[in-house]
Amino acid sequence: MITIPYLTALTTYFSYGLLFAFGQLRDFFRKTVDWWSHSTLQGYAPICLGLEDFYIRRLYLRIQDCFNRPISSPPDAWFDVVERVSKDNNKTLNRTTRVQRCLNLGSYNYLGFAAADEYCTPRVIETLKKFSASTCSTRVDGGTTTLHAELEECVANFVGKPAAIVFGMGYATNSAILPVLIGKGGLIISDSLNHNSIVNGARGSGATVRVFQHNTPSHLEKVLREQIAEGQPRTHRPWKKIMVLVEGIYSMEGELCKLPEIVSICKKYKAYVYLDEAHSIGAIGKTGRGVCELLGVDTADVDILMGTFTKSFGSCGGYIAGSKELIQYLKYTCPAHLYATSISPPAAQQIISALEVILGEDGSSRGAQKLARIRENSNFFRSELHKMGFEVLGDNDSPVMPIMLYNPAKIPAFSRECLKRNVAVVTVAFPATPLLLARARICISASHSREDLIKALEVISSVGDMVGIKYFPAEPKKQQLEEANRVKLE
Amino acid sequence: MYVKMAPPADLNRNTEWFTYPGVWTTYILILFFSWLIVLSITNCTPGMAWTIVNLGHFAVTYHFFHWKKGTPFGDDQGMYNRLTWWEQIDNGKQLTRNRKFLTVVPLVLYLIASHTTDYQHPMLFLNTVAVLILVIAKFPNMHKVRIFGINGDQ
Repeated sequence: MITIPYLTALTTYFSYGLLFAFGQLRDFFRKTVDWWSHSTLQGYAPICLGLEDFYIRRLYLRIQDCFNRPISSPPDAWFDVVERVSKDNNKTLNRTTRVQRCLNLGSYNYLGFAAADEYCTPRVIETLKKFSASTCSTRVDGGTTTLHAELEECVANFVGKPAAIVFGMGYATNSAILPVLIGKGGLIISDSLNHNSIVNGARGSGATVRVFQHNTPSHLEKVLREQIAEGQPRTHRPWKKIMVLVEGIYSMEGELCKLPEIVSICKKYKAYVYLDEAHSIGAIGKTGRGVCELLGVDTADVDILMGTFTKSFGSCGGYIAGSKELIQYLKYTCPAHLYATSISPPAAQQIISALEVILGEDGSSRGAQKLARIRENSNFFRSELHKMGFEVLGDNDSPVMPIMLYNPAKIPAFSRECLKRNVAVVTVAFPATPLLLARARICISASHSREDLIKALEVISSVGDMVGIKYFPAEPKKQQLEEANRVKLE
Repeated sequence: MYVKMAPPADLNRNTEWFTYPGVWTTYILILFFSWLIVLSITNCTPGMAWTIVNLGHFAVTYHFFHWKKGTPFGDDQGMYNRLTWWEQIDNGKQLTRNRKFLTVVPLVLYLIASHTTDYQHPMLFLNTVAVLILVIAKFPNMHKVRIFGINGDQ
């Protein structure tokens, strides 16, 4: 539930209406001017039909410099952002050679493995020398090395399932696996805020797709009952298979999935549960095993566990963990296994080393320290932002914190002002989020020190005052009040 | 004063914004302020200003609700390319609260405009034509109907 001040909702609609009206006016003039000039392409159909690219041309391009910023160093706690200039009012941007050292609040670097690590990097370089950068083959042809087998075993043990299969790309894991698991005659019920990879996979599978209200188990039950009673679309025969797709942490909301309730509902109606732990594996839970550990759900109850290695392990790729029969079946049928190049050996070694650090098998307690630090950092940052009066979404313990901006003009204002003060934030607007709910998303990392967080809080507070996003009243500083009371008593 | 909002289950990003709190109020406020602006700019009677607002509202809403088809972004792969905005809202379900509200607004505007101009001749005719076209376009029976192929697909 998001709480918006009513006046802000009205002004946001008005701003979008104004932007839309100006965009239409400019389009009208462009059409009139172009009617007079002769086009060199006669008889060709236009690339974009009608209004399709209106949003990109008239709204996105105006604030293009807030997105797609190139960086020129590893995405550690501090990194180098390349400066860009534009000579035609943001229609095209040119890179300069100047860089700006900024505090990184946008990278998914939850455990700090994104930069050179004292345990992982030497091993990765050794693997690079031994196995070279790419296997140059698919898994079935010649691309399965001892590293791949070791990695799959490590992942299966870490996650708590009998077997696992690993792919080279996280997005492709979702979009290639879902069509294999379910097909025509099946039913997919997915959360309304699921990631695009899941939506793509669900659409590509050919099954009927229904959506339930975000994180609302009662609505899921209602949809399940309705669909089971109705059956397949025209024949009304019973569904061949029902699968419910949810995510561990929703990256745009920062909130955890209500997994215990959803799993119990799925057990009741005999539906399969597919859990996408892209943002939660390695980052939450006491030993980093994800949302199942945090919420106390037995991993045997969740049928298919999916995750990616990009966020907490500093590598690339995705995995699916499940029963031995499931993984065996996937190895025969999944196109990402049969036709796509296998995961690069240094990347696989990075994941294995990162897992060893997290589990403490490297002989030090750095893994446990990192996990404790990210939890402390997230809770500290979130509570401080709440005290300052910002509207921050997300549950406790989640390292993803969206700060609500709402108005379309505050998006570039917040982004540019923060960059001027050497803090790089990621702002997200329509269409990745609903129209009204534009936000700045902060990702906390275990490599942020306390000083970094305090500096970030100061910058965000001053920019927030300037831009006007402190929608809630700020809490008074309790310590000062107590001291004042003590002085009065004395 | 705060309002609560849950993320909507509507997947069509072109129409989901209409389900949020505050949209109806914004619509009514825009109409009211445009009446004030028309009164300030031109030197006409209040009734004439309401007629101008009514006709402007007719032109704008007819163009955007019942003429323009499709969505302003490309990532829904042209699923709604044959549907106007009116046919897309609420996933095509008829007679929902939003649709009833949008049907009532031109009627109320018509009543205000005709009353403040004392039902005199040229304004009354124009206002009636405007409201007739708008209300007929919003009937449930007109869903996906293209009369004489006007605005049909190529």
